[in-house]
Amino acid sequence: MSFYLLFKVLFSRKVVTGLLLLQLAMTLALLLNSILLAKQTHQQLNQPTGLDVDNTLLVQLKPTMASLRVYPALEELLNRQLDAVQAMPGVIAAAYTNQSAILQGGNNGNVYIDGEEDRTNQPSVPMYFVSKDFFNVLNSDVLQGELPQHSVSLDNPVQPDVVITKSLADKLFAGKPAVGQQLNRGRVAAVISDFYGQRHGTNIMFNNIQVAPPYSVDWGYGILLRVQPGQAENVRQQVDKVLRNVEPNIEILHVRTLAEQYQRLYRNEYGLATLLALLSALMLLVTMVSSYSSTHFHALKRQQEIGVKRALGASKKVIFLELLSENWLCTAIGALFGIGCALLLNKALSQVITIPPLDLYLPLLASLILLVCVTVATWYPAAIATRISPATATKAL
Amino acid sequence: MEQFIYYLKVSLISIRRAPLPYALTIFILSVGLGVFFANATFYYQLNSDPLPEKSDKLFFPMLNLVPYECSTDCRTPRVLSYSNVEKLSQTDIPSQAAAMYSADGYLRQRADQTPLPVSIRITQRDFFAMFDVPVLHGSIWPDNSARPEVILTKATAQKLFGKSDVVGEKLLLDDRNVTVSAVLDDWQMLPRLYDANNRNHLSEADDIYLPLETGYDMNYLSNSQSQTFDDTDYRQLSTQGRTGALHQLQYWVKLDTPAQQQAYRQFMTNLVQDEKAAGRHPSPPNNQLVAMRDIVSYFGGDSSDIKAFALVTLLFLLVCLFNASHLSLNRYLSNQYEFSLRRALGASRSQLQLQMLADVLIMALFTITGALLTGYGGIKLMNNLLPANRLFSDWDLTLLLGLLTVAVICSYLVTLYPSLRASFGSLNQQLKE
Repeated sequence: MSFYLLFKVLFSRKVVTGLLLLQLAMTLALLLNSILLAKQTHQQLNQPTGLDVDNTLLVQLKPTMASLRVYPALEELLNRQLDAVQAMPGVIAAAYTNQSAILQGGNNGNVYIDGEEDRTNQPSVPMYFVSKDFFNVLNSDVLQGELPQHSVSLDNPVQPDVVITKSLADKLFAGKPAVGQQLNRGRVAAVISDFYGQRHGTNIMFNNIQVAPPYSVDWGYGILLRVQPGQAENVRQQVDKVLRNVEPNIEILHVRTLAEQYQRLYRNEYGLATLLALLSALMLLVTMVSSYSSTHFHALKRQQEIGVKRALGASKKVIFLELLSENWLCTAIGALFGIGCALLLNKALSQVITIPPLDLYLPLLASLILLVCVTVATWYPAAIATRISPATATKAL
Repeated sequence: MEQFIYYLKVSLISIRRAPLPYALTIFILSVGLGVFFANATFYYQLNSDPLPEKSDKLFFPMLNLVPYECSTDCRTPRVLSYSNVEKLSQTDIPSQAAAMYSADGYLRQRADQTPLPVSIRITQRDFFAMFDVPVLHGSIWPDNSARPEVILTKATAQKLFGKSDVVGEKLLLDDRNVTVSAVLDDWQMLPRLYDANNRNHLSEADDIYLPLETGYDMNYLSNSQSQTFDDTDYRQLSTQGRTGALHQLQYWVKLDTPAQQQAYRQFMTNLVQDEKAAGRHPSPPNNQLVAMRDIVSYFGGDSSDIKAFALVTLLFLLVCLFNASHLSLNRYLSNQYEFSLRRALGASRSQLQLQMLADVLIMALFTITGALLTGYGGIKLMNNLLPANRLFSDWDLTLLLGLLTVAVICSYLVTLYPSLRASFGSLNQQLKE
């Protein structure tokens, strides 16, 4: 079987081959970029959060009466609610917070070393105002210093001490001890292990926490619960009733595990990756239909030629391989063009979404997938063509 | 007509003779067009102009009036402080102007009732005229002063009272007494361009409307974006919020002519120069006057997922067109003998092209049906996977007509080359075959 003859057969039907090559090239381009996007989404969804996301529940709520949103009624309400949820079976620890971890954006601000704003300012650092068990709920490791044990009002003339995460401490103090240093938000009392704060923050692991009642709950507040493994669903079902027994004038906005919160945060990326994967599957199906019909039609058109070959001693296997080889060659040429198209599409997509550049092994993987699909699609018509009897050759005479 | 019916019959016979290639062509074209339809729906609706007569006359002015000297990031804040808005309002160049923000609240008729969570647009009287908001009952506030009056949407009125004519009724808004001064008719501005910050333009219209001054008096904080550039206590909105650098307001002005727009730009420049001359606001000037039609891209709120998907669906449609042409070509080449026989019996090429048009018509009918079904399924799937855009999934007449035209053109293109090839083939050779 010579390449020259295979090329000759392919280019004897220029338009059909051209259309097939275009389809193969575009299919490969889309397939490659879909794989890239799926890979990126997978990495995003599996990046470490520093949290036990499956066993931490977030209850987001807001008092519906204005009088319950001001101190001292608010503090009294927060404490009653915490006492009630902490007594629930399956709950290990509970804390209130002005905002949850794992958010797109929220309450955030600048953090810098006092007197060194120009050099050390870190913008958009999430600000948490929490009850003292917050660190226990998040299961944070204390890396330096000691956690504050008492809640101090933000209106106090002396600012409450701050607890910062390791990444923020490293950025601000470059490896030097952070405890006792004065930040614009307060004195550093402790450094804890990193956890995922806000996606739109300067760094997702930068966090600034103060053990203090929230300034205001006009945007609602959260109650975080660490539950025993496997108890998340039971606690979720009961928590609504427990909180309403404490105070009926509340709106419970949602109850979610942090794992669900994380899924929601990357919902758009997940949605787009799923859509592209579906489209790639459809494109492969369309290419398979095309390869099938092309092989089927040309086998029919070349019945006499195949008959003559059979009469001259070509075995069924040789005919079968010849037809498959035509498609393999076509796929290989299409794949070469496809890599070029994939680079162009990758560049165009990177103008509107975040997508990593193409690497080396992906084109090989995608070409292999394409080759398998084309082979499956052409198998049946090629097998039918081998049944052409050598007697067909006599019609050519 | 009789001849055309004959052509249709011949086409149907041809389909029955080889149904599989025909069905595959229809399937591929339907899938390609259906996926294209689904994405085109979102793309069209998201990029539509909700106020085509005045979107080039409505502008969002932004000033870099902040009490700090920026060193690296000198972008103009996306929201304005109350005092900035006051300064911007000190001119009669705009024919209409309205400041606004949104907040959350609870509404009920009596203290013992379960409250209804509502989204509140806190704004000024010109808002309703600027954005063509229809009033069903009552009247809009006569001026911009504080008053305990709310304007309800028809849906909110019906939820609370079971009827829409509720002007003069008393309500409790976060435990404070307010009176209903008007009820709006059904209204949904999509995209909601007056609130494009943080991609809020994808959301539904608010439930109730409250005067700006009353909103500040009631200490309502923005639920979208508020920034403090000094030590203003945001719990003291009614006092410190009016004088400090607490930014949470959007401000829209209507500038009807290019001369007015130029004059307003000059007014903004003079205002910033005066502020700097007075020793306030040390940051470099960076005034912005953004037209409503550009506001989404200015805030970087374009739906990149839909844009990216648009690119690939176009590519997919192209692949499907090539594929359908390929299948169609195979089908016509298989029937070439029939074409040649007709030519030999005296049929002209133009008559063969008429036969082709009958084929296109039948193909377009099947394809449109398949594409609409696929498109409908695609929209449901996209609503599920990209729920932020769910309000933009409706088909309107213009869109449908456009999509149907695309379907007919695609069916024609798919059949054009194969039929020309079949009818222009060498007659002698084909008859020998």
